[in-house]
Amino acid sequence: MNAFRMIPFQKFDAFTNMALDEAIMEGVRSGDTLPTIRFYGWTPSAISIGIFQGLRNEVNPDAAQAAGIDIVRRQTGGGAVYHDTDGEVTYSLIAPLALFPSSVLESYALICTDIVRALAHLGIKASFAPINDIVVNERKISGNAQTRRNGVLLQHGTILHEVNVEKMFSLLAVPPEKMSDKLVKSVRSRVTCVRDLTDCSITDLCAALEQGFSHKRAIVYGDYTQDERSCAAELASRKYRTDAWNLKL
Amino acid sequence: MPDSQTVTIVRKVPGGKLVRMEVTSATVAGPIERVKITGDFFLHPEETLERLRSAIESSPLPLDADALTARLERIMAEDNAEAIGFAPGDLVSMLAEALA
Repeated sequence: MNAFRMIPFQKFDAFTNMALDEAIMEGVRSGDTLPTIRFYGWTPSAISIGIFQGLRNEVNPDAAQAAGIDIVRRQTGGGAVYHDTDGEVTYSLIAPLALFPSSVLESYALICTDIVRALAHLGIKASFAPINDIVVNERKISGNAQTRRNGVLLQHGTILHEVNVEKMFSLLAVPPEKMSDKLVKSVRSRVTCVRDLTDCSITDLCAALEQGFSHKRAIVYGDYTQDERSCAAELASRKYRTDAWNLKL
Repeated sequence: MPDSQTVTIVRKVPGGKLVRMEVTSATVAGPIERVKITGDFFLHPEETLERLRSAIESSPLPLDADALTARLERIMAEDNAEAIGFAPGDLVSMLAEALA
């Protein structure tokens, strides 16, 4: 049974969150760091866009700036995500690729099963919906994204605790002519969150996720090392905060 | 000297992801000056997208869709790449639509 470090929920800004993932990937690659599962939030609220997305196609930058929202490009594919500071838990699993199926889709299924198991601890019957979603009654509750670099797998994703579709749409680049109550209702009908289904708190959700991800893994609770924090601070400054990265497409 | 024109094709690949292709070319039937590919798809390794984009951008006109598809598939094989949410053929048909 492989040992994993588990780092309980903490909040960081968007740039630090993405930089911590990359810093830990480097530590796992070099063998300095145990495979790691971290849980985190975003402060302030943020939008992350996929590595292949055009920021200007996805985000309303004026609205985001006015709302004090950070915008960051991820190193993973997938779509734009609004990360409300009070509305979700994000996780990252970072481990040697050799511990997971070589097929991307199979590894999504395997890791997402941990989240399905976590939600079951809260009495929520969820299921994995390929390519990269988890749904409850066909409504999305979790989106996930993965990259593989230098023999290291990173999968991160969000689990919605509460959802505010109106706020999300005010920040994303939805043409005004397409914005309507009908659209908001349509999206809301395809998305769900923990609070739609139970009275569980964010703390309860974090505890369930820790339990779900501990299944068949030897867990060592820990924190970020000073090296990881320093490396992440440098990466945030040199890469994730820059227009060269965030506006590259 | 005619101005360049940019044509944007946005496609939600059935069962896949959204791909947006912007093709900039001279006003009179090419040549292709610039191709930009964005979207919420996945491609492992991510660097392969630049090779695919470059191959599309440099494809001779008139477009030989079969030849370009074969070239893109060769790049995917060389990089041992895995695309999720689109296939090389989708990019070629989007280019054809942009050039039509």
